[in-house]
Amino acid sequence: MSAASSPPLDIDIRHEELDGRLAETWRTRPGFWGALATVDHKVIGRRYIATAFVFLILGGILALAMRWQLARPEGRLVSPDLYNQIFTMHGANMMFLFAVPVMEAMAVYLVPLMLGTRNIAFPRLNAFSYWIYLAGGILLWVSFALNMGPDIGWFGYVPLSGPQFSPGKRADIWAQMITFTEIAALAVAVEIVVTVFKQRAPGMTLDRIPLFVWAMLVTSFLVMLAMPAIMVASTSLILDRLVGTHFYNPAEGGDVLLWQHLFWFFGHPEVYIIFLPATGMISSMLPAFVRRPVFGYLPLVLSMVTIGILSFGLWVHHMFTTGLPRLGESFFTASSMAIAVPAGVQIFCWIATIWDGRPVYRTPFLFILAFFFTFVLGGMTGVMVASVPLDTQVHDTYFVVAHFHYVLIGGAVFPLMAAIYFWYPKMVGRMMSERIGRWVAGLTFVGFNLAFFPMHILGLQGMPRRIYTYQTDVPWSGLNLFVSLSTVILAAGFLLFFIDAVRSARRGEPAGENPWGAPSLEWATTSPPPPYNFARIPVVTGRNPLWDERGDMPVASGLRVDRRELLITSVADAIPEARDSSPRDSIWPFWAAIATSAMLIGSIFSPWAVVWGSIPVAITLVGWFWPKGTPEDDA
Amino acid sequence: MRAVAIAGLAALLAAGCQREERDLRLDPPVTAALDQVAPMANAVGGAPPDVLGALGEPYEGNAYNLSEGKRLYSWFNCKGCHADGGGASGPALLDGWWRYGSDPVSLFVTLRDGRQNGMPAYGDKLTTEQIWQLVGYLRTVGVSSASFAAPSRNDEMQSRPAENRAPASAELGTPPSR
Repeated sequence: MSAASSPPLDIDIRHEELDGRLAETWRTRPGFWGALATVDHKVIGRRYIATAFVFLILGGILALAMRWQLARPEGRLVSPDLYNQIFTMHGANMMFLFAVPVMEAMAVYLVPLMLGTRNIAFPRLNAFSYWIYLAGGILLWVSFALNMGPDIGWFGYVPLSGPQFSPGKRADIWAQMITFTEIAALAVAVEIVVTVFKQRAPGMTLDRIPLFVWAMLVTSFLVMLAMPAIMVASTSLILDRLVGTHFYNPAEGGDVLLWQHLFWFFGHPEVYIIFLPATGMISSMLPAFVRRPVFGYLPLVLSMVTIGILSFGLWVHHMFTTGLPRLGESFFTASSMAIAVPAGVQIFCWIATIWDGRPVYRTPFLFILAFFFTFVLGGMTGVMVASVPLDTQVHDTYFVVAHFHYVLIGGAVFPLMAAIYFWYPKMVGRMMSERIGRWVAGLTFVGFNLAFFPMHILGLQGMPRRIYTYQTDVPWSGLNLFVSLSTVILAAGFLLFFIDAVRSARRGEPAGENPWGAPSLEWATTSPPPPYNFARIPVVTGRNPLWDERGDMPVASGLRVDRRELLITSVADAIPEARDSSPRDSIWPFWAAIATSAMLIGSIFSPWAVVWGSIPVAITLVGWFWPKGTPEDDA
Repeated sequence: MRAVAIAGLAALLAAGCQREERDLRLDPPVTAALDQVAPMANAVGGAPPDVLGALGEPYEGNAYNLSEGKRLYSWFNCKGCHADGGGASGPALLDGWWRYGSDPVSLFVTLRDGRQNGMPAYGDKLTTEQIWQLVGYLRTVGVSSASFAAPSRNDEMQSRPAENRAPASAELGTPPSR
């Protein structure tokens, strides 16, 4: 083929011209439709993160409402019926609309950058995932505004959530919201696994992958193995309620306990789906603040894989009071306690990293320290409730509420806030305020511990979960008032955090490429990164590329610039195998998400919605996959 | 166009609220007014209490009230004579034939005051609200097409399709003999 007719490669173009040509190929088109059609993982990742934080605010407001209600005995702020909706909304919202999506959103943004590739695998699926997630969130919150919010707890136990005891569509809204978020999560999980396995920069062998990426890889497998269980559960619940099947009707051969098994077979790995990314974030952030590579890369990876595997073997510890065989209880006590081993390995690796380094006490590092203290405490109570006799005593009390807020906020939200402070400059191009950041870290840490530690005591005193009020003659009012007042400190910390995030977007100090002096690849490009991430694909020679290559980084070249093209590398050794095209922007994922949402919402009301709703879904999928005659269509 | 959209949304809001509202404790004056039915002289048909219209017919299309009605149907042993609606020592409720009328007032009077041939009076065993909940429920059991608000199956042995899977019986039965 002559040079004139062959497509332009990046090696044929002068360096100054390259950025412009790549930007033209990869950019998101301006305007409303361009924004809807974009498949840029950075744009979608930012949207995902922002949406998840909106849900965090909404869920936080519900938490404040609950604390106001419980501040004094015989509270009158909300009715019992509304309280049921509020605590269900708080839990479901925080788990399904905040915690899991925000972790996956961070991965959508960061994983391709950390791996040195130009877009996530299956970028249109990525766009579809976001729209479906958004639709699920809107479904839940609009229903709540219509007084149709679920009131069955975030775990939706039958028979309470079943057809006999949950009239109306409240439980169906909950079950279908799960379908939405699970579709979104599964889509992202598949993208991440493929991106990690096939799109790493040349030279990034398996033992050079950044730890956050390892964490997301393990998490993605957890998502793929755990989420089908809850989809089976929620779908069979909807069938029970709508068409009168008998999955959970013991009189017709169904099984009530089946629900708990299905739910917790998902629900326990879910905890690690939230926690593992947080551990990955810590491992990836620490080196920048202690100025040395993380201690024990291999044990850290192995402990993440171990946690991932073990997480499927301990769901029954949520069901100790359901009357299971003694042998089963003993087994699951042992397996629950066993998870303290890999978790301990991680903690000790981090302590060794800090011990051997020269810590720089910037805001993200403060949050990491807050994580250590809070999470270890939550882990301790975790070992306590893993033992059957103690669990039998404190089951469904505020002790459990305290425990899981310690592990979720301590284990995931503090690392997440560290991660936001850490990667915000990369995403926005400006630093968040260090001065405000210290206040945020202090207020949230102190506020959290003051608000949640007394709940351990309340639980030991016998205060049950999910009660909408309590009488004046029980000795809980003093601690409850203290807890409620402390919540204000915590809320003030979060408020300050959001103010800082919004303010810094315009007025923050401009961040350079690598404000923290961190070693991984996402810091090798501009902040925020260009649409194509890297003008030339970096070549990795060590575990900490930016520290290993003090001068110029080696790069790979030979990719086309007139179409979206990626480098595909081998799974184990990241040896370049092929150049592959990456899809262009498309509006069809958006329409497909609308069609899917209509079908899923309709199927709450009539089984025929699945039949008729599948037609628009099929049409939009045809549109999605129809060849458009672009250069990307040729393989 | 925008006005239509807003009106449509408002209607949806109103409908959603109405169908899912759970009024757990009625005001005493409302309860008293709910008892003010004006039946005809033969105790079949008549004028419903005005308050029902004012409340927006809460016992016709509200999922919670219908479900409570279904619960009362079994708690007060309506099943003892009428079975799951198919009828036993008492007449069937699914076949579309009603000896004493199927309108809300007739059913209310039937439940409150009882009828000849063995239907006892429940006026001193149920509150007025509960009687209306039962009336609402009874009016869903024999219909040919179900509403979204109708209750679903119970966790028990099934003898008929659930109320939200109407029709419960394939065709109109022959009129029962007296």
